Amino acid sequence: MNFDKFFALAASKGISESQIKVSKSSSMAIKLFRHEIENFSVSDSQNVIAAGIVNGKFGSSLTEKLDKDTFEFLVDRILRSASLNEKQEEADIFKGSEKYHKRNVYNPALEDAPAEEKLAIIKAVEDKAYAADSRVAEVEVSYSEHSSESCFYNSFGLKLKQKSNYFYVALSVVLRDGDQTKTNWAIFLDQDLGKLDQDALVKEAVEGAAKKFGADSIASKKYPTVINREVMANLIDYFLSSAVADEVQRHSSMLEGKLGQKIASSKLTIEEKPLTKNVFFSYFDGEGVATQNKVVVKNGVLKTYFYNRETAKKDGVESTGNGTWGGGRVGTGFGNIFVKPGKQSFDELISGIKDGVYITDVAGLGTGMNAVSGDFSCQAEGFHIVDGKLAEPLTLITLSGNLLKMLKDLKGFANDVKMTLDSISIASAYIKSMNIGGK
Amino acid sequence: MISKSLAIKVLNAALATGGDYAEIYLEETTPEVYSLENGRVESSSSPQSYGCGLRILNGLRSVYGHTSDLSAKSLLSLAGKLAASYSEERKITVEKVTHVKTKKNIKIEDHVADVPVEEKIAYLKEISSIIQGVDPRIVRVQTGLSSSVRKIEIYNAEGSEAKHFENVEERTRVFMIAIAAGQEGIETSFEGPGASAGWSYFTKTLDYKKRAKEAGEKAVMMLTAKECPSGKFTVVIANGWGGVLFHEACGHPLEASSTSKGLSVFSDSIGKPIASPCVSAWDDGTIPNEWGSDNIDSEGVPTHKNELIRDGICVGFMVDRFNGRRLGMEPNGTSRRQSYKFCPTSRMSNTYIAAGKDDPEQIIKDTPLGIYVANFGGGSVDPTTGEFNFSASEAYIIRDGKICEPVKGCTLIGTGQEVLMQIDRVGNDLALGQGNCGAESGSVPVNVGQPTIRLKSITVGGRGGILE
Repeated sequence: MNFDKFFALAASKGISESQIKVSKSSSMAIKLFRHEIENFSVSDSQNVIAAGIVNGKFGSSLTEKLDKDTFEFLVDRILRSASLNEKQEEADIFKGSEKYHKRNVYNPALEDAPAEEKLAIIKAVEDKAYAADSRVAEVEVSYSEHSSESCFYNSFGLKLKQKSNYFYVALSVVLRDGDQTKTNWAIFLDQDLGKLDQDALVKEAVEGAAKKFGADSIASKKYPTVINREVMANLIDYFLSSAVADEVQRHSSMLEGKLGQKIASSKLTIEEKPLTKNVFFSYFDGEGVATQNKVVVKNGVLKTYFYNRETAKKDGVESTGNGTWGGGRVGTGFGNIFVKPGKQSFDELISGIKDGVYITDVAGLGTGMNAVSGDFSCQAEGFHIVDGKLAEPLTLITLSGNLLKMLKDLKGFANDVKMTLDSISIASAYIKSMNIGGK
Repeated sequence: MISKSLAIKVLNAALATGGDYAEIYLEETTPEVYSLENGRVESSSSPQSYGCGLRILNGLRSVYGHTSDLSAKSLLSLAGKLAASYSEERKITVEKVTHVKTKKNIKIEDHVADVPVEEKIAYLKEISSIIQGVDPRIVRVQTGLSSSVRKIEIYNAEGSEAKHFENVEERTRVFMIAIAAGQEGIETSFEGPGASAGWSYFTKTLDYKKRAKEAGEKAVMMLTAKECPSGKFTVVIANGWGGVLFHEACGHPLEASSTSKGLSVFSDSIGKPIASPCVSAWDDGTIPNEWGSDNIDSEGVPTHKNELIRDGICVGFMVDRFNGRRLGMEPNGTSRRQSYKFCPTSRMSNTYIAAGKDDPEQIIKDTPLGIYVANFGGGSVDPTTGEFNFSASEAYIIRDGKICEPVKGCTLIGTGQEVLMQIDRVGNDLALGQGNCGAESGSVPVNVGQPTIRLKSITVGGRGGILE
């Protein structure tokens, strides 16, 4: 596409400054069920988003329909969107950062590997899952691969491009024993097929389900609580969402007025490192601002909010490179989060707990979390901790608390770090006391 | 969106390697979305969606692909890539296309898209000012309108004669979010009425002023609500959106995508009791102009009124074409997808527990101690184990047959199998509530519904200790 034509058309219609982003992505997925390929899918997607300034107002548009009329359509919708915009602050288009830390994170070998090799991987995983335990009744395993490419241009001559790809293998198992049914799943995401440890994936899914047999509820009370990495990542994600400046400025954040204050236990240190060379790498944000690594919470003290250009201007600071833009108004996001681990192993972490609970999974946090107040309540499962060791499995219990209170009660992390799919690198956490609901 | 002759070419390319069913799904969606903060327009957009989904079935195997490039070259290339997964002799050659007329459950005269933008914005501003006027503790009000016109064309072939369907889906939803802050903390409340209806529904039929006022009042009320107690209690659930419990705990496990593979707790339940005898339930995609209704499903099958449970006995599933093959059941108009980017599968539309005989007030009067859940935030379920959870967004303690103080942080958990058996009272006040349901084939608009019901005993999670 000739973007100069777009910029010229926009300018001729009174759009003083403009930007355009073209994204293309392709993906393929194979799913096995009962030793057969049940599903195979391929896709190619493209979309164009554009924005511009008309009399100081921001307008934007998006389309997936690329033809000779696309630029006309985009310009027309930008004009309409800007004319309705009633934001008082004057908007502009970002000209460009002085320096960008571009890196190549695309792995061509992934796309070049033959489909037979990918199919062979999941067939092997499926066989291993069935063989891992005689109670394995059903196995679903899938391979998915995704690659994307985006170009971000503006009328000031800025040109940014990024290309990335990844694959993941997802395994879900159903185990049956008499009238009891237990399910579990495991997932592995990377850019390098060679890094997949099939046995570890199978072990995680099958053993995780097997351990749930005989699970029961537990007496309702407060327990010292250990939370596994995936659940903790989920909770930290909600916490960080409160550090988004838009929410703070609109009085919808539990972190309003808390900058520079101790808001959590000194065991909590969180960094955002978008420039880490991994699947989640990005060197420019949704507004074209260069991203930067930063400390968000240091030893329990809140060091910064996440800013895009508009919210930064409101607070008189620089954008932190956390702008997101999907075709509508500019939002704020974060990724590649690193939570500082502890030194103890998981076993050491729980060794001092006489009567506690280890949470391995939660459900319903999406609706059970009041993201504004931090109060939450959700369905959970896990294990009873008795005399420093994991004891009987627990099911259909509830975990409830308040996010900030929980982080104040954080006694520490283990050293069992894992990068979760939410792009949060985190270890198991020990919370002094949480409400567990059961019998 | 494409010519009949190209459709025939693409179907034949797709069926070249032994496929026994091929389907082209074409979509062009033009939405309009407005969002206001404290009565001021902050964003308006119209993200246009455009593309084709292509599916080929061969026995119990399925391949799916999609593209946003509808040129002959792109579509034939996609068909070739997908067909390469099979390597059998051709079974079907498509020779002609016949257009199939569809029955209209959705009739709209005053299209929302034709209403001047200024009028829609004024409506949202009015809602915003009603919410803001409720109480000075309301610190933030978000309102929005999301309306879409989705033009669909489907070509599908199981033999030499392909069928062609055309449909237009028009839906509009209004969002009202109130955030209240006080010394006690911050609380938020949400209302989101929607319908496959025209503008007059939103301005005349819907009591939007009442809904706006309630949104504001609820956020303020929750500021002073105590923490919900935890333990096992009798719970009365209000009509309307309360039906999300049935949606999660029972609706999802009755979708053929779960039952066909033996992955659902209700897999072999047809003809067996799965609920207490006072429970009957339906999934009805034909209710005129409802949020979850449609004329045809994503495979071109007309929507049906499907009976799921009759007097506690399981009598049916929601069945799509592919999973129907495994079950040996005919598709019943329930195959749905978010967009051309998703392979369709069996999904709910308007799913509800049918009205019973009890007076809802009497149900409360007959409950000495328990919890009244007036509204849910939402919930989720594992269809294989039946374990579910729901979070109440508005709940009260029932004492001596009366609704008393409000409580917050109330979560109900249990299994679908148990909870359906726990229903001991069913009211006569059936109502529906709107939501979006996310699953394998994306996010689709659904209505949940029920009359006031009572559960004898269910686990409640909260931070307020013992109920006294």
